[in-house]
Amino acid sequence: MNLHQLFLADLGPELQLTAETLRQASFAVRRNRNEWLLRQRTRAIIEMIAHTAEQWLEPANGFRALALREGPKETGWSAATLARGLDGFFRSITVESLEALVAQDLGDTRRLDDFGAGPAEHRTGRTSLAVGPELLVHLTAGNLPNPALFSMILGLITRSAQIVKCPRDASLFPRLFAHSLAATESKLGACLELVCWSHGERQAREWEDLLFAEAGCVTATGGDAMLEEVRPRIPGRTRFVGYGHRLSFGLIAKESLSPYSRKRLVRAMADDITAWNQLGCLSPHAFYVEEDVPGSAETLGEELAAELERREASEPRGIIGVAESALIQSRRSTFELRAAAVASMTERNLNRSLFFEPPAAVKLWASPESTAWTVVLNQDARFQPSCLHRFIELKPIRQWDEVLRFAEPFRHQVSTVAVAAPDDRLPEMARQMARWGVSRICPIGRMQEPPAAWRHDGRPALGDLVTWTDLET
Amino acid sequence: MNPSHSSLADQVRGLIRSVGFSDPAATPPADTGPDAWDRLALDLFRIQYASVPAYRVFCDARRRTPDTVAAWQEIPAIPTQTFQELEFSAIDPGQRTRVFHSSGTTAQRPSRHFHHWESLALYEDSLRPWFARHLLAPGPGFPQGLRPRCLALTPPPESVPHSSLVHMLEVVIRDLGDPGSTFTGRVDADGTWELGWEPTWAALESARAAGAPILVLGTAFLFVHLLDAMELRGLSLRLPEGSRVMETGGYKGRSRSLPRGELHAAIARRLGSPRIVSEYGMSELSSQAYDSEGRFRFPPWVRIRTIQPETGRDVPEGEPGILRIHDLANVWSVAALETGDLGRLHGNAFELLGRAAEAEPRGCSRMTH
Repeated sequence: MNLHQLFLADLGPELQLTAETLRQASFAVRRNRNEWLLRQRTRAIIEMIAHTAEQWLEPANGFRALALREGPKETGWSAATLARGLDGFFRSITVESLEALVAQDLGDTRRLDDFGAGPAEHRTGRTSLAVGPELLVHLTAGNLPNPALFSMILGLITRSAQIVKCPRDASLFPRLFAHSLAATESKLGACLELVCWSHGERQAREWEDLLFAEAGCVTATGGDAMLEEVRPRIPGRTRFVGYGHRLSFGLIAKESLSPYSRKRLVRAMADDITAWNQLGCLSPHAFYVEEDVPGSAETLGEELAAELERREASEPRGIIGVAESALIQSRRSTFELRAAAVASMTERNLNRSLFFEPPAAVKLWASPESTAWTVVLNQDARFQPSCLHRFIELKPIRQWDEVLRFAEPFRHQVSTVAVAAPDDRLPEMARQMARWGVSRICPIGRMQEPPAAWRHDGRPALGDLVTWTDLET
Repeated sequence: MNPSHSSLADQVRGLIRSVGFSDPAATPPADTGPDAWDRLALDLFRIQYASVPAYRVFCDARRRTPDTVAAWQEIPAIPTQTFQELEFSAIDPGQRTRVFHSSGTTAQRPSRHFHHWESLALYEDSLRPWFARHLLAPGPGFPQGLRPRCLALTPPPESVPHSSLVHMLEVVIRDLGDPGSTFTGRVDADGTWELGWEPTWAALESARAAGAPILVLGTAFLFVHLLDAMELRGLSLRLPEGSRVMETGGYKGRSRSLPRGELHAAIARRLGSPRIVSEYGMSELSSQAYDSEGRFRFPPWVRIRTIQPETGRDVPEGEPGILRIHDLANVWSVAALETGDLGRLHGNAFELLGRAAEAEPRGCSRMTH
């Protein structure tokens, strides 16, 4: 199966995009939205979305097959990694989960359909209706597909016409998803347009400004510099929702290191490390390990290394660029040298230190003859961003709350902390982390699988897109 | 008896002498051929393994020792970033007279490369002929044997004693330049190098008035500052015929960065098309590479390889890999170094593709937009 030409992005680089084409596209999707999408009930739209997601989970589904065939070429992920990532995402998109999202963000599943009132509104004699923007524009990022697909889902729920701008080298998944929505209901596809260009392109600014002028709301995902550049260009009456880059890590309480819990823990850690090869904002850069028995973190490291080696056989990391691979090798060499030097200092009792400053002890486990996976046990607990692609540090600490101090320099960038801790300790840990600034706490093993209703970077993702009309009686 | 550092340094000098000052046609003497290079590399490895404790630890961990290494390609290469935390020096702490730091902001730990008078003398012997070959070769307006006036945009040596680049420029000026040469840069309170606009402009003006060729030497970011300052004032100037520009180094976030082609075009626009040579060097090395037509070349006492990081094996010529540099003039530290730079080999020249290690990874680092 091949994709027919339904969206501008399907035409590829030979398309001579002009401002006029964009204006026409914007007009067309808005007209289709006003004539059809706006008149649909929330429940009906959600059923169409959930049906599409269910189709993606069928092994014989054509869009899925195409994603797994073409995806590895475009993204470098192995088909197994892609399949797992996409399955995790589409399993989370159900009628129940989407209705829960609407109810959570807007108070009731019918708030986009009819004027209604919650108890507080009742008391003040009001009803209200949530209304989505007529045109929603998304600037999507290319690191992994889920955020762009989820943005499109949110826009359908708010009954918005949507224009999705993809990076040139990362349009495959948004296109496939848009085609699959159109296959479920062609009128859904008619309310969507996908376009492609790269930030550095000559006319990128002109085209983006044109879209910003037409949009009721713009969402943008990308690096902080990109958001800073885009934000001032958004007209005052247009709402802007920016998702900057975030970091995540894991935290393991000492109780979870018992031989009984450890087996499951190690598999869950490997799930988080291999999911999208750590490339998402929700992927772990390190695991902090509360250690009260000396050596327990080392045992964990050894078992994690063995697990990652098994995963490499069943779900290979795939090929990465030479610069990425060079960075992994360079970090490995540094740790290897530190480990060897520290060991020799104690063995030979050298009278002259080899180091300018006393180093922290280090132990390294690494895939042989490749950079496929790396586990570093590092006594230096200061948070350091990983070079990703299945490169993980374990950092022993004495008390869990030390982690907040060690991660302090990255405080405003932290998204998710995955925690393994006993039920009686979790509430206090969660409270402290919340006040420190963590926006999501989840079990280890589920970092890259947030529920549909999760509050993206601590904000209601759907709630931020709508405006309210109050009716006072 | 095993050769000493000093006697190996003499052998390296033999290789250096064979290059001569500016006579590319000179044939090297018999004992400086490829076999001599290989032998010297292995002898150096033996002595560096024995005399540099941190290097020995690294080699032992890799199970590559003088007893098991038979070819120079097997000599373990130290990643340059580890000079930031370990001492790679055969020089006793009491004898060290100089230390070169890698550039970068003061907040980061710099690399440290220690020297004493003897290693520094070899460093200077190594830099002169290759600099002369690339920047002092005779040409239109530039007669054979000219000691040109030099304008170094960097701060003077006394303000930045740990800069290997500025030491190099000091040696160039002292041994190859006109006595009226100057350093015009400054160091600000946080250690950043700044352009000294007034003395720089005065030196450029006076060179133009004198009509004699001038060498303008500096880092890429100082040239960007110079060009910005000229543009701000609406100034440009035609340097005398035969003038040359040497530009080196990355930007490290200290100015707006320009791709090299654009920088060279802007220099040509504002300074009247002098010949522009790019230099590639680092504090961990004792030799430098210079480019012509986008390809850098090291002198013959340095060999380079490009390595596929996944496997550690050489990549085929023309394909990207990590640059590994084997500098025989690094006698008292470690000769085999692995840089954080990516490049492509073309014969004995290389094309620089950028830094791998400086592209610090961050969350969602692969985001494109």
